[in-house]
Amino acid sequence: MKRTTLTLLSFLVAACLLLIAPAAAQSTEPPVEIHFAFLTFNRVSEALESVESAIDEITVPRINVKVKLHPYSIADYAQQINLALQSGEALDVFHTLGDLPQSVSQNKVRDITDLVDEYAPDAKAVVGDFLKAAMINGRLYGIPTYKGAALAPNLVYRADIMAEIGIDPATITSFHDLTAVYAKVKETHPEMVPLTPDSAGSLGLIRSLHGIDFLGDDPFRLNNVGALIGDSLTVVNFFESKEFIDTITLTRDWYNAGYILKDAATTTSNCLEQLTGGKAFSCIASYSGQEAYVQISAQTGRDIRMVRLGQPYLTTSAVNALTWSVASTSQHPEAALKFMNLIFSDRDVINLIIYGLEGRDYVKVDADHVRYPDGQDANTVPYTAQLSCGIVGNQFIQYAMDGTNMDDLKLWDYENKNSPRSPAFGFTFDNSGVTNEVSAVQNVINEYLPGLSTGSMDPEVELPNFIAKLKAAGMDKIIAAKQAQLDAWVSQQQ
Amino acid sequence: MKNLYSKGEKAFATGSGILLAVLAVASLLPFLLIFMASITSEESLIFNGYSFTPKAFSLDAYHYMLAQSQVVLRAYGVSIFVSVVGTGASLILVSTLAYPLSRPDFPFRRVLTFVVVFTLLFNGGVVPSYIMWTRVFRLKNTIWALIVPNYLMSGFSVLLVKNYFEKAIPRDLIEAAQIDGASEFAIFFKIMLPLSVPVLATVGMLTALVYWNDWINGLYYINDPSLYGIQQLLIRILDNIQFLKSGAAGMALGNVVVDLPSAAVRMALAVIGILPILLIFPLLQRYFIKGMVIGAVKG
Amino acid sequence: MNSRKRTRLKLKKSLPLLLMALPGLAYLVINNYIPMAGIVIAFKKMDYAKGVFGSDWVGFDNFKFLFSTPDAWIMTRNTLLYNLAFIVIGTICALVVALCMNEIKERFFAKYFQGAFLLPNLISMVVVSYIVFAFLNTDTGLLNRTVLPALGVSEINFYSQPQAWPLILLIVYLWKNTGYASVIYLAGIASIDPTLYEAARIDGAGKWDQIRFITLPQLKSIIIILTLLSVGRIMFSDFGLFYQVPMNSGPLYSTTQTIDTYVYRGLMQLGNIGMSSAAGLYQSIVGFVLVLTANYLVKKISPENAMF
Repeated sequence: MKRTTLTLLSFLVAACLLLIAPAAAQSTEPPVEIHFAFLTFNRVSEALESVESAIDEITVPRINVKVKLHPYSIADYAQQINLALQSGEALDVFHTLGDLPQSVSQNKVRDITDLVDEYAPDAKAVVGDFLKAAMINGRLYGIPTYKGAALAPNLVYRADIMAEIGIDPATITSFHDLTAVYAKVKETHPEMVPLTPDSAGSLGLIRSLHGIDFLGDDPFRLNNVGALIGDSLTVVNFFESKEFIDTITLTRDWYNAGYILKDAATTTSNCLEQLTGGKAFSCIASYSGQEAYVQISAQTGRDIRMVRLGQPYLTTSAVNALTWSVASTSQHPEAALKFMNLIFSDRDVINLIIYGLEGRDYVKVDADHVRYPDGQDANTVPYTAQLSCGIVGNQFIQYAMDGTNMDDLKLWDYENKNSPRSPAFGFTFDNSGVTNEVSAVQNVINEYLPGLSTGSMDPEVELPNFIAKLKAAGMDKIIAAKQAQLDAWVSQQQ
Repeated sequence: MKNLYSKGEKAFATGSGILLAVLAVASLLPFLLIFMASITSEESLIFNGYSFTPKAFSLDAYHYMLAQSQVVLRAYGVSIFVSVVGTGASLILVSTLAYPLSRPDFPFRRVLTFVVVFTLLFNGGVVPSYIMWTRVFRLKNTIWALIVPNYLMSGFSVLLVKNYFEKAIPRDLIEAAQIDGASEFAIFFKIMLPLSVPVLATVGMLTALVYWNDWINGLYYINDPSLYGIQQLLIRILDNIQFLKSGAAGMALGNVVVDLPSAAVRMALAVIGILPILLIFPLLQRYFIKGMVIGAVKG
Repeated sequence: MNSRKRTRLKLKKSLPLLLMALPGLAYLVINNYIPMAGIVIAFKKMDYAKGVFGSDWVGFDNFKFLFSTPDAWIMTRNTLLYNLAFIVIGTICALVVALCMNEIKERFFAKYFQGAFLLPNLISMVVVSYIVFAFLNTDTGLLNRTVLPALGVSEINFYSQPQAWPLILLIVYLWKNTGYASVIYLAGIASIDPTLYEAARIDGAGKWDQIRFITLPQLKSIIIILTLLSVGRIMFSDFGLFYQVPMNSGPLYSTTQTIDTYVYRGLMQLGNIGMSSAAGLYQSIVGFVLVLTANYLVKKISPENAMF
């Protein structure tokens, strides 16, 4: 009885609304408000409301959901997510930051296995087999960001110098070919440093080794013991592998020959700054596609080119580092998923989140390209989250900044789908059973790895110490745990 | 009076002056170095290194900051407001608690002092405080969130003021006032406070420094950029830079090549963070030093 | 009967004092005591869906990682030795600066010196680490580019020389904190009754005697308070000083690793707040026991200077 009245009433209200504002009246229920958190590297905007209401105009009629945006800078992100989850503050959708396994074992994110087909089918379809990377023990905990995830190691070099020393870059196919190049650079330009680190403590050489799956509990830093090499399904200690030892021995030779920046292990200035300053000849960095040099040239003011030193290799952690999840404390998981579905499939919604309002925050150049309005830049427009383009949802339906070659984006997508995958692709290591060992091993790796991988430590002397300390810190227990979990996963797959 | 100062004392005073002058110069040298770095061109910084006498000048770093001057100025405003209001409120709370604790005839003296000291040794962690201040007191994203949690009263200040009340103010004064029938409040306001200017000036200065330097409250309680204080603003910019330079950025961002503020800009940020202090500090110090002198004469 | 009456009278007399203390105490209860309930997290396996208080108990499991490492000794030793050095040398330097400051009668110089000493306290450790890097790094640092070549010394890679860092960190610590601490001692000196000095001068006491027999004894209680409080924090370390300033450089761990940096590095990837709370609780309890002991000793020797 009561219910019929209510339905009738809401029908009437809906009918009225239909007359006034046809767009807002698809549903009889009031819209659900969901809270959406993401990482931004742009200035945190003060014009969120204008963007939110523009999104609401799309989402309320379609899925009856309103959104509150919570862009956090890196200083706040992890802290704010944890506080919101623990204090019961409203939070529905957020993304992991390299910590999907921990988020699952600590119950930060919700199991969406039974909801995804109904509420986020489009998102599921977009990401294809990337979805496997967000599954743990057969259950699904999120949807990985869809972007250029297949990263290939590249030599990023000064084209003018390369021409001057007369080496054809096409002859460079792996970092072993670089010794001769660097010798020539050093000879003709003694004031320059042939190789600078991509970031402090990492020359990028280890990342360019092909076919290594670190079975990552930490995809952001290469500091895991226990890796798969090639097609083998036996977990080995990477730091005792021939691949690692050969690499650091070569690095040490380069260091001694003066090819490497002496402060490589600790430097505060990255590769771009060294290139800009005219000090660096090259660095080794991983990019998807083959066009990143265009941006690097523009920013450094130098003539920069790239050449691939290896091919992309997809592992679980390369894909699930950023996984969009529903908070375990969310009161509206269905609405949250419906919204998540849109950031993977709705061009208008994602572009509002990334670029803000057309005309005010950006202007269109053509169907695919945008730029900031005249006289404005990322720091002055009221809203932009442009640097989060590889973080939020589906990068391939976003506009690109003016000057981006759309063919390169096609290559990203092609390589996402066709790059070789690790035999353990889809396996995720849960380290919650070996926390004591992980904390001790982390400290040992931090102590030795930057020095060894930048050549400032002598492997002859320090490598045995490193291995001994890893063993003392409980490395074998971690490897055994990884192997056991991996074996279980393999048998589950069959 | 003058003849009372011996030769040795004069020599000591001169020696002190020289020692402090040397130390002061040494203390300021690092600032000179970052200032010079902030006006050095990026190329020169990378090629020639840091120097007190840079080879190529550039004001690019300051242009970069100037583009954001509105944000920076507002952050100064927030920081100044928070420091002034926070320090004032803190002084009231601290001194009213320190006074009873300093009275030997106050029966709960030892227990309550312990209660104060205990807070300096243990803290319960972020989450319960966060729930308290955001859910019970609803401070999130208000300016009070920068003032009230954590710093409004430090046990350390209470101990300093209490110690001063005990050691520097003659007990006869209080007893005489009590015999005259003065109330505790009258004693506190008419005798204790006026005689405690040096310690209040000191504690006030230390508290102001704490508020000025704080970014923790901002990290927990403020998401609204219009309420960022200057340290919060700087920490966010610096953290962004640090993350983007780490290997993590490549993984998180994929192909975005970020135009990072250069080393010179980072140095300019540091300079800009301390610049207003250089302007306001002399004013504050006038009161501070005046307070010390008054105290010395009266004490 | 009589004594109860007296107690009541005493209570009534102290009522105004209690009232005065009330706002401050209320703040401590809200800000410090109620949140201490959160300490339970150190004994729990955090489950975000269940919340802090609903998560399962795990006993002392969260504490194990602090002791199950071969580095436990190194990080504890470093933490204690640095803090001892900071307490002793820091106090002496702050006292010397305060004593000298007290001699400066010229307002202008007093202001200038004080400003110079307090300025380092106003910048964050991240910025300090940039400054130290500007001095010390091998490729572009001031020392290696300008100073050492002028002295004819070959370059030094400071970020891989662990033996240099105790001194470097001590200098940075003193640079950053001496001004702050000296302000407290200066206030203490200002509160000393000037007639004491006049009497001493008449007796022919020199400056050194005045410091020894008047200034330092008068400052004793404040020195004891500051030292006791530092003892309470003896297991803690300034994270920025030990993590940011050495640029997280691995080869330096033998002299820069402290409990706080170990915990941070170890948990970065685990994100386990139970374990980090356990570490904090362990550090607090050790400090607490030491403070109680130290306070007890002080009470034995000179009861009027004990903290409580």
